[in-house]
Amino acid sequence: MNHSAKHLYLKHLVTSVLRMVGKKSRTLFGVSLLSFIAASCAKNAPQDTWQPKGPNAKIIDDLQQPVFAVAGVIGLIVAVAVIYSVLKYKDRGQPIPEQTHGKPALEITLTIIPALILAVVAVFTFGAIFKLAKTDDTEMIINVTGQQWWWEYDYPVQNDFGITQPIISSGQLVLPVGTKVLLRETSRDVIHSYWIPALNGKRDAVPGRIQTLRLEADEPGIFTGQCTEFCGLSHANMRMEAVALSKADFAKWVANQQAAYVAPAKDSLAQQGEAVFLNQCVRCHQVNGLMRADGTPAIAAPDENVWSGSAPNLTHLMSRNTFAGASFDLLSKQCRDEVWNAPSDVIGTKYLAGVSQDCLNQKDLRSWLRNAPEMLPMYANPTQLAATGGKYRGMPYLALSEDDISKLVAYLLTLK
Amino acid sequence: MFSTGFKYFMGVTVLSVVALIMSLFVLDQVAIAGVALSMLVVAAALLGGIAVVTRDGNRQSGVNEQSTDLVSQSIWPLVTSIGVVFLALGLVISSAVFFGGIVILLAALAEWMVQSWSERASKDANYNASARKRLLNPIEFPVLAALGLGIVIFSFSRIMLTVDKTTGASLFIVFGSLVLIGGILFAIKPDMKRSLGAAICVLGAVGIVAGGIVSATSGVREELVVAKGESHMAPECGEERSEHFDKNATGTLSLRSSVSATIELLDGQLTARLVGFQDPQKSLTISRSAPTNLIFHNLDAKDYRLVAELGTRAAAEPEGATEKNLVCTQLAAQGFEQLLLLKIDKPAPEGTSYRLVVPGVEGQSIELVVP
Ligand code: HEC
Ligand SMILES: [Cu+2]
Repeated sequence: MNHSAKHLYLKHLVTSVLRMVGKKSRTLFGVSLLSFIAASCAKNAPQDTWQPKGPNAKIIDDLQQPVFAVAGVIGLIVAVAVIYSVLKYKDRGQPIPEQTHGKPALEITLTIIPALILAVVAVFTFGAIFKLAKTDDTEMIINVTGQQWWWEYDYPVQNDFGITQPIISSGQLVLPVGTKVLLRETSRDVIHSYWIPALNGKRDAVPGRIQTLRLEADEPGIFTGQCTEFCGLSHANMRMEAVALSKADFAKWVANQQAAYVAPAKDSLAQQGEAVFLNQCVRCHQVNGLMRADGTPAIAAPDENVWSGSAPNLTHLMSRNTFAGASFDLLSKQCRDEVWNAPSDVIGTKYLAGVSQDCLNQKDLRSWLRNAPEMLPMYANPTQLAATGGKYRGMPYLALSEDDISKLVAYLLTLK
Repeated sequence: MFSTGFKYFMGVTVLSVVALIMSLFVLDQVAIAGVALSMLVVAAALLGGIAVVTRDGNRQSGVNEQSTDLVSQSIWPLVTSIGVVFLALGLVISSAVFFGGIVILLAALAEWMVQSWSERASKDANYNASARKRLLNPIEFPVLAALGLGIVIFSFSRIMLTVDKTTGASLFIVFGSLVLIGGILFAIKPDMKRSLGAAICVLGAVGIVAGGIVSATSGVREELVVAKGESHMAPECGEERSEHFDKNATGTLSLRSSVSATIELLDGQLTARLVGFQDPQKSLTISRSAPTNLIFHNLDAKDYRLVAELGTRAAAEPEGATEKNLVCTQLAAQGFEQLLLLKIDKPAPEGTSYRLVVPGVEGQSIELVVP
C-alpha cells in the first residue's frame, strides 16, 4: 500500500467507524459488552482469581462471589438512580423547587441500610480471615524465601513425607495434592509477596519475619503466580509456579530430590562442563555433593558475591521446568505444552520426567549463560555496584566462550 | 512598598543563600567557598536593608519632617550585633555557632527591614505598627512558640536524665497534677486576670529551664554513664558483664510477632516452638543468609542465656588462629525473654553441626540445620 492509498484507507476507516457509532451505537455497545463478558471468563487466564483450585482459594471465592453480587446490584441501583435523576431533573428552565434542610427519617434509613450490609459482609469476611490464618491443622511445612528476583523453597525434614534431609529448590513449588501445606515465608532483601491465585490470596514475605500462607490443591496441576509487592528492577519477572502432584508422584519427587549426586561420566562433555562449573559457577551456585578436584566438597559462597546472599541451588535443576524466577522455560515449546496441557491424571508422570536432552530449551538456557543480564533486567554491571558493596543483584555476565557454554549445558543436563 | 534596589539586593541574598546551601552539599572542601558565600549573603542583605531604609537614596517625597516622631525603639540593631558576634566566634569555635550567627543575622535583617519599611509606610504610627504585625506575626509566632516549647522540653529532658528513676516518675506526676490543677482553676474562674495566668506559665517555664540548666551542668545520672560504657550490641557470651540492659527485650519490641521460632527452657528441657509445627521441635531449619529472629523464653528459676554455636571463625590474633563463633542473647531471668538474631551464610562443614545451647543446662541443644 503506498502512502496516499494508506491515507485514503485510514480516512475511510474513520468515517465508517463514525457512521457506525451514529447509527448503530446500540450494536456497538452490545458487542463491547459481550466481549467484556467473554474476556472476564477467558479460558486461558491462569491467574484468574475467580477459578479456585483448592479449599483456601475456595474460601476467598465463596466470600468474593456474594459480595461481588451484592456490590453489583447496589452499584446498578445507584447508577440507575443517578441517571434517572439527571434526566428527570435536568435544567429545562423550570423554577427551583423549595429547598428543605435535612430529612432525618430518610437520612437515618440511608445510613443504617449500608451499615447493616457492611456489617453482614464484615461477619463473613472476619470468618474467612480467621479460617485462612489457621496454622494448627498443618500437615506439611515448606519454607519459602524471596529475594531479587526468584523464590527459594526448602523443605525441612519431615519423615511423614519421606523427607529425611532438607530439600532445596527454586522457581517451582512442588506440593502433594489434598495436603494442608503451610508456607513459612520470609525474604533475604526487600519485601516480596507470594501469590498463587488458584490456591490462595497474597502474603508478604518480609525480611526477618516469618509469615504463613496456607496452600492446598485439590487436583494435580501447575498453577502460576507472581510476586505482588514491588521489589525492584525485575519485579515483573519474579514469577512462581506451584506444581501439585498426586501423593504417589510427590513421594517419587522427594526421593529424586534426595538422590545422591552422580558425577558425569569420565571423559564426557559433561565432565568438562563440571570443571567449568567448579571454576565459574560454584562461587554462587550450590550443587549438593559436588566435589572439588582436591576431594573437598564445593560449598558455594553466594553471600560473598550476591547482594541477597543467595543464588538458586542447581542440584536438581533439570527436575524443574522453568528457570530464573520462572521467567524462562527449560522445556522446548512442544515438550512444555505436553506437560502443561496433560490431563490431571498423567500430568505428574509427565512432570517427573524432567528435562531431557531432546526437550531442553537450548536457546534460552544458552542465552542465559551467554549473558544473563541481557535476558532479564538485573543490577549486574560490575562498574555500578557501589551501592551494594560490589555484590551483584542477579546473575552477572561471565564472558564464557561458546565452547564452555556447550560443556556447561551438557553438565547441567545431568543435574536431574 | 519594596524599592527596586531592595528587590535587587534581596534577590542576590536569596541566591547566595541557595548557593551556600548547595555548596555545603556538593563540595567536599567548603572552607573558602563557604566563607566567601557567607560574606556575600551578609553584604547583600546589608545593602538590601540600606536600600529599603533609604528608599534607594531617593529623598524627594515620602520622608518628611515628622518621620523622626514615628520611629519606635528597635531591638534589631542589638540582635544584629549579637549575630555578628556569633559569626566571629563561630569562625573560631565551631561551624554550628557560625551558622547560628547567619540565622540570627538573616532573621534580624529581615525584621529590621520590615520594621523600617513599616515606620515610613504612613504618617499614622498605629497603622504602621499594625502593618508590621500583619506582615511578620504569622512568621514570628510559630517560630517563637516552637523555640520556646523546644527549650522547655529540652530542659525537662535534661532534668529527667539527671534525677533517678523514681524521682523522675514523681516529677512527671507532680508536673502533670500542676497542669491539671491550673486547668481546673482556669475553668472554675474564667474571669481570672490574664496577667495572673501568664505569670504562672512564665514562672513554671522559668523554673523548668533553670532546673534544666542545673541538671545539664551536673551531668546525667551514674547509671546511664555506666550503661553507655557497656557493649550491648555485642553481649558477652560468658559471665554477664553488663548490668544495665533491657531485661525483657521482647516485651517491648515489635519483634514479638512473626519470629522464626521461640526457644523455650522449661525444667531443664530446651525445645523450639515454630508456627505450623504442632509439636515442640529439637531442630530448626534456617535458610542461608536469611535474617532470622529467635525468641529465648526462660521459664527456669536461674538466669540463663541462649547461645548459638556456629563453628569457628578467624580470630583477631594471632594470625591464622581460630576461635569459636558464638552468638548469644543477654541473660534472661525466670519468665523473661531475650532476642537472638541469626544470619548464617554457609552450612556447617562436613561432620559438624550448628546448634543452640544454654550454658549451665547440660545435655540439651537444638540443632540448626542450614541447607
Ligand atoms: C555472581 C554470582 C553468580 C555466578 C558466578 C553464576 N550465577 Fe547463575 N545465578 C545467579 C543468580 C543470583 C541467579 C538468580 C537470578 C534470578 O532468577 O533472578 C542465577 C540463576 C541461574 C540459573 C537459573 C536457576 C533457577 O533455578 O532459576 C542458572 C541455570 C544459572 N544461574 C547457571 C549458572 C551457571 C552455569 C554459572 C556458571 C557459568 C552461573 N550461573 C554463575 C548468580 C550467579
Ligand atoms: Cu518480589
